[in-house]
Amino acid sequence: MIKTSPQIALFFSAMFMMLTAVSALPEDDLNSISIALGPRAEALILARCSVCHSPDLITQQRLPPARWEAIVDKMKHWGAEISQEEAGLLARYLSARYHSGAPDRLPPLEHEAGLAEPLGQEPASTGPIVGVAGRGAGIFENNCQACHGHEGVGGQGPRLSKNPILQHEDLFWDTVLHGRGPMPAWSSVLSEQDIADIHAWLLTR
Amino acid sequence: MSDIGDQSLISRRRCLKLLVSGLGAGLVFHHVGSAVIAAQNDAARKETSGLTVRVARPLDAETPVGEFASFLTPNDRFFVRSHFGPPAREHIEESQWRLNVGGVVERPQMLTMKSLRQFEPVTITAVLQCSGNGRAYHRPRVPGVQWERGAVGNAEWTGVRLRDVLEAAGVRTEGRHVQFQGADRPAVEAVPLFVRSIPLEKAMDADTILAYEMNGRALPLLHGAPLRVITPGWMAESCIKWLTDIVVREDETKGYYMQTAYRVPKVPAASGLTTDAMVPVEAMPVKSLIVAPESGQNVPVGLVRIQGVAWAGEAKVAKVELSIDEGRTWETARFLGKDRPYAWRQWEFMWTAKVPGTATLLSRATDAHGEQQQARTPWNPGGFLWNGWDRVSVQVNA
Repeated sequence: MIKTSPQIALFFSAMFMMLTAVSALPEDDLNSISIALGPRAEALILARCSVCHSPDLITQQRLPPARWEAIVDKMKHWGAEISQEEAGLLARYLSARYHSGAPDRLPPLEHEAGLAEPLGQEPASTGPIVGVAGRGAGIFENNCQACHGHEGVGGQGPRLSKNPILQHEDLFWDTVLHGRGPMPAWSSVLSEQDIADIHAWLLTR
Repeated sequence: MSDIGDQSLISRRRCLKLLVSGLGAGLVFHHVGSAVIAAQNDAARKETSGLTVRVARPLDAETPVGEFASFLTPNDRFFVRSHFGPPAREHIEESQWRLNVGGVVERPQMLTMKSLRQFEPVTITAVLQCSGNGRAYHRPRVPGVQWERGAVGNAEWTGVRLRDVLEAAGVRTEGRHVQFQGADRPAVEAVPLFVRSIPLEKAMDADTILAYEMNGRALPLLHGAPLRVITPGWMAESCIKWLTDIVVREDETKGYYMQTAYRVPKVPAASGLTTDAMVPVEAMPVKSLIVAPESGQNVPVGLVRIQGVAWAGEAKVAKVELSIDEGRTWETARFLGKDRPYAWRQWEFMWTAKVPGTATLLSRATDAHGEQQQARTPWNPGGFLWNGWDRVSVQVNA
């Protein structure tokens, strides 16, 4: 057995880190990026991209970064509700996970067991949630209006103003949280407070 | 619950389910990114057994190639493609629906279904094919729906001649292009509308029709009810579904789906490069498919019947050949069945399988102008017009 001093051990571990940094397989790096960005990116895909199309249109592509950037840019231009920062994150994530050399069948992401990370987090509250109609208008406009129309009068999705579902809160919540038919699940995007606010606002329409 | 479903997309999905559900389970290849996404897609997959779903919403689904053993592709097995999905039912109900014909015409028209049916009915058998059929085989990869072999079908279309409708409206001398728009709309307003035009010459062709029947039945919702354009021999993006507006124009339609999408280089460009000289996709190039045996199938040593179809847009298919040696030598297949303009031609080839093991069958067709399928199709930025040799590998058993 060779005894190593802490300095030598430090030296070797530093060398090892440098070597791995240089020789790491790009595939591993890409995988790390996928895992790191995955929860937030997948939440964005579900919430923003699937307003217009199901996520399978995205996951079947295998493209280089420049192509992904151009596509995210085009979608933003076409009305996808994503900030500049979110667009950057999406392009990095998509370029890492769905790159030109990625296999047709991808292994699941490691975070798969859990749901996608919530985008907007509210501090956990203990009491019952009381919706505030005044806040609901803006949240509705940003998240729901594309399908359910201005003031909830309907569009691609059903009319919500005066819709009897508003009187069945359990069904309303279940639909918003978990999706229904072509409507995506919003649990990873809207907080409970957001949903309560939207509900309160819709009751006034 | 029905209270929210009645006029919603949800009820339309139920209706789609009825429209596309059929016998047997189709092969569905999904590359899903997460459990959440997978769960969502499962629901859509169940609604469309019998077709291979590429995109669950708006529905894009292709036909398993085995279905092409019949001359006509059944309506519920016919490939489905649109940019925004079907319009809300109320927009296309016969009582509400109107066809507006305007632009540079003498007498703008507003036709009901009843008045449209006053024109002489015609029936045309024609192949309908998505321009992106085979996009998955282009290298480098091209973004878009990753269609393989089944975004194509052959059907009998019944309707009236577009020419008759245009003559009723009286095309003015400056009219050069005919623009079509359907009732379908994107979920988000900033997305460009799906509006396209065809040159007047194709519009005035006696075989270009506005179809209200498909294979002898009312046009299904997924295929454009109540009325769609059929431009026989041309790719399907000219065959606008849910048609509501015809506008005669002096110039080609502006906008994304005419000026940017559905265009190919006039001269094939090197892979990865785009070129300035882009022209609209129009006629289908010559193409063949091996329908049976299917990929991966076991066949015995001895005589094996290879079946397929071939089509060539506006031209006739002159010849179909088979190769069992990676294209070094070719033998001619025999045509079968009906020979109709714009329809596909069925063919068969009796192959004597001698050596046990894996064998790769290749097919290539040649049209009446001498155009022949090559091993691969030149790359283009949209991944359109794939017509490389068809390829099926089978297992020969002793």
